[in-house]
Amino acid sequence: MITFRKPIEGIERPQMEADVVIVGGGPAGMACALRLSQLIDEHNQNHPDSQLSKDNIYVLEKAREVGQHCLSGALLDPRSMRELLPGFESEAPIDAEVTKESVYFLSKDKARKFPIVPPPLRDHGNYVISINKFVKWLGQKVEDAGITVFTGFAGSELLFNDDSRDAEIARVAGVRTDDKGVDKLGQPKANFEPGYDLRAKITILAEGSRGNCAKQLIERLEMEDFYHAQTYGVGIKELWEIPAGRVAKGEVIYTLGYPLTTKEYGGAWIYGISDTQVSVGYVTGLDYEDPRTDPHHVFQDFKEHPLARRILEGGKMVRYGAKTLPYGGWLTMPRIYGNGWMILGDSASFLNSQRLKGIHLAIKSGMLAAETAFDALLSGDSSADTLSEYKASVDASWIRDELYPVRNFHQGFEHGLYDGLIKAGIQQVMRGGNLGPDYKNEPGYLRMRHVEALNPLGEGRTHFLGNAKGDGKLTFDRLTDVYHSGTRHEDDQPTHLVIKDLDICNSRCGKEFGNPCQYFCPAAVYEMVESSETASGKELHINFANCVHCKTCDIMDPYQIINWVPPEGGGGPNYDGM
Amino acid sequence: MKILVCIKQVPQKDAPLKLNESGTWIREDVSYEVNEPDAYALEEALRQKEKHGGEVVVITAGPVRAQQVLREALAKGADRAIHLEDDKFVQLDSTNTARAIAAAAAEENFDLIVTGLQSDDFGAAQTGVLLAEILGLPHATIIIGIEKTDSGLRLKRELEAGHYQFIDLPTPAVLTIQSGINKLRYASLIGIKQAKNKPLRKVAWAEVEPKLSKNLQQIERLYVPVKQKKTEMIEGPAAEVARKVTEYLKNTARVI
Repeated sequence: MITFRKPIEGIERPQMEADVVIVGGGPAGMACALRLSQLIDEHNQNHPDSQLSKDNIYVLEKAREVGQHCLSGALLDPRSMRELLPGFESEAPIDAEVTKESVYFLSKDKARKFPIVPPPLRDHGNYVISINKFVKWLGQKVEDAGITVFTGFAGSELLFNDDSRDAEIARVAGVRTDDKGVDKLGQPKANFEPGYDLRAKITILAEGSRGNCAKQLIERLEMEDFYHAQTYGVGIKELWEIPAGRVAKGEVIYTLGYPLTTKEYGGAWIYGISDTQVSVGYVTGLDYEDPRTDPHHVFQDFKEHPLARRILEGGKMVRYGAKTLPYGGWLTMPRIYGNGWMILGDSASFLNSQRLKGIHLAIKSGMLAAETAFDALLSGDSSADTLSEYKASVDASWIRDELYPVRNFHQGFEHGLYDGLIKAGIQQVMRGGNLGPDYKNEPGYLRMRHVEALNPLGEGRTHFLGNAKGDGKLTFDRLTDVYHSGTRHEDDQPTHLVIKDLDICNSRCGKEFGNPCQYFCPAAVYEMVESSETASGKELHINFANCVHCKTCDIMDPYQIINWVPPEGGGGPNYDGM
Repeated sequence: MKILVCIKQVPQKDAPLKLNESGTWIREDVSYEVNEPDAYALEEALRQKEKHGGEVVVITAGPVRAQQVLREALAKGADRAIHLEDDKFVQLDSTNTARAIAAAAAEENFDLIVTGLQSDDFGAAQTGVLLAEILGLPHATIIIGIEKTDSGLRLKRELEAGHYQFIDLPTPAVLTIQSGINKLRYASLIGIKQAKNKPLRKVAWAEVEPKLSKNLQQIERLYVPVKQKKTEMIEGPAAEVARKVTEYLKNTARVI
C-alpha cells in the first residue's frame, strides 16, 4: 500500500495575509520580486506621505536554499538583466563570455561540423553561467531589498474564492504551503507543522517547467489550447572537471543527431565554464514514440561518442541533475493572467526553443508582471481587468518580437529531424511563417506507441532503450548519477508522486507500454518489482526520495495518471554550481 | 532559565568535498547547514524555555555566511543572536573558539549553556567542555535528557553499550547534547518573518582577540585516502580457518 501526499484535512490552518506571493524563487520569481521592490522604492521616494510596504510581499521557494533546485546549461542572454540591474556584469557570478561556438551533426562515430553556425545559435555576447550561483546571487539581492524569501516552503496548492471554472470569473485567493512533519502513512508526527494558507491579493506563479500550482490552475480553468498543447524536453546534465586544453573557457558546442535517430527531437550542449570545467548535457524531446527510450541512457550514449569522449575522458564527473523545459513557445503559452494571478517564466512557456534559451525571457516576464502587480497594489484592484496589463505589456515587449517569429519552430519537428530542419529553414526565410497556417501540436505523451506496435529491432534505437549500466568512469547508471545530484528527502513522509490509479501501472501499462516510467525517470524513482499481489506478477515501487523534481513523469506518463506534488519543503536535489 | 546555545555552521553532510589548494582544509564552494547535534541542543533549549520560561540566545563564530544558522534558530524561536563574525574564526582551534565564545558570553551570566556534543566537520568534541573550563562552570557531556530540579538539573547521559548515567548538576552549567534527545521542530512562516526583527549582535574579531592565544592545534595536511583492496585467502579445514580469521581480526585488523 502506498500512501500519497495530500494536504491534511480537518485541521485549523494558520493564515497569513499577503499583498503579493510569488511561488518559486528561480530567475523569473526573483526578477519579479526585485523589480517590484525597485518600483516600491521609487514610489516611496517620490511619495513620502503614501508609503507602500514590502512587508507582505513573499517569495516561496521549495528548496532548502535559494537556487538549489535551479538547473540549466546555462547560457544567459544579458538583455533583460541589463534592464533590471544595469551594469550587473560587474557583480553577478558569470563564468565566461561566449568566445566560440560550433554545431555538429553526429553519426555513430563521426561528427560533421556545420559550415556556418545557424544564426539562432550564435551566442557571442552571451554569458556562460551557473544558474544555481546566479539565482543565489539574485536571491540575496531580493532579501537585501527587504522582501522575505521563505526557503524550504513549497506552494502545495492554490486557494480559490469560488468554484468557478471560468478564467474571467474564478479568483485565486492565495496559496497553501506544504504540510511538514507528516509520516509515510499520512499521519501527523509529533513535530507536525501544518501548511499555511497565504491569503494573497496577487498570486504569481513562477514555479518553472510544469509547475504544480500552474498545472492545477491550467486544468481547473481549462486554459490549455487543445491544438497547441505544451510540449517538453528533459535536459540531463553533468558537470565535469577535465584536464586543461580540451575546451576553451567560453566555448559552446551544440550537436544534433546521434544517439537519437531522426525520429526523436533533441541534442547536446557542451559549455566551457573554465579551462578545466565543462557543463555537458543532453535534451531529449518528450514526444518520442518508443516507450523504452531512456533519456538518461541517451545522454550516456552521447558521452561515448568520440566528440564527447575526447573532451571528458580522464576527467571527473562532479554533479548531476535533470530538469524538463517547455518547448512549445509562443503558440503553447497558456493564458497568463486572471483574477488575482499571473504566470511567469517556464511555467508560462517563456522559452525560445530555437535559441535554446529561456532565462532572459523568464526574467523579463517577471519584470513585466512586477510592473503590473505594482499598479494593482497602488490601485487596490487585482482583478483580471487590471492584471491584463501584464499580457498587454508582454505583447508590446521584445518577448513577443523574439518568440512570435519562432512560434512554429519546435512544432515543425513533429515529423522528424530532416523535415524539421527544412521547415526551420523556411521559417527563417519567412520570418516565422510556414507555407500555410501555424502548425498544431498535440501533447508529447500521445505519440508514445504500444510496445507491440513497434519494430522489435528498435529501428536503430536499441542502444538507448532501457537503463544505462555505465562504466563508472565516463558513463554512469542512474543511481550513481542521482547520488551526484545531492538529492535528499525526509524518508518518513507520504509519496509525493501521486498516482491516480495504481491498477493501471500494475496491469494495463505493463502490457501496453511496458511501464515506461522505469525508463523516462532520470532519477530511478520508478521500479517494477516482482510481486505475488498482482495478476501481472509485477508491482510498482516508488523510490520518491530519489526524485530530482524534473517533472518528466508528470509530463510523459501515457495515461496522465501521475501528478507531481511538492514533497515536504526543503527536500530535493542540491544543484550546487549547476 | 537564561540559556545560551552554541551553534556551528558545517558543510552539508552529503556535499562533495574538495580540498583547498594548500591541502589544509576544504574549499569554500560547498553548501552549509546547521551542525546536527547543535540543532538538537537548540530544540532542547527551546523546550526548556517553553516549560520554565526565560530566554534562549544563540551564538556562532564564523564568516558572514554563518549568519544563516542564527537566522534559522531565530525562526524556530530563539530570542536573540550573537555572531562572532570574521573569516578568521574558522581557523581557530577548539580552545580558542571556546575562549572567543566565553569572551562574548561571559557578562551575560547564563543559567545554562548547551551545545552539540561535537561538530560534524572537525568532530573534536572539545569546544563545549573547554568553554565550561574557561567559564569555571560544571559540565556534563552526551546528554540525552534534561530535567529541572529545585537545586539544578537532573541529567541523563548516554554511555557505551546501552548504559545510561543519571547525574545531578547545579546551575549554571554547560551541557553537550546528543543528537536524538528530542524531535526537531520546523520553522514556521510566521517564525521566519518575526526572526527578521529579532536582535542580532555582531562581535568583531578585535573585541575578542585579546582573549585568544596561539592555536595549539592546526591541521598539517588533509588528504583523500587512497582506496585499496587486498584479498587474502585463508585455506584449510573450517575450524582452522575460523581460528585464523579470528586471530587476524583480533591482532592484525584489530576490529574485535
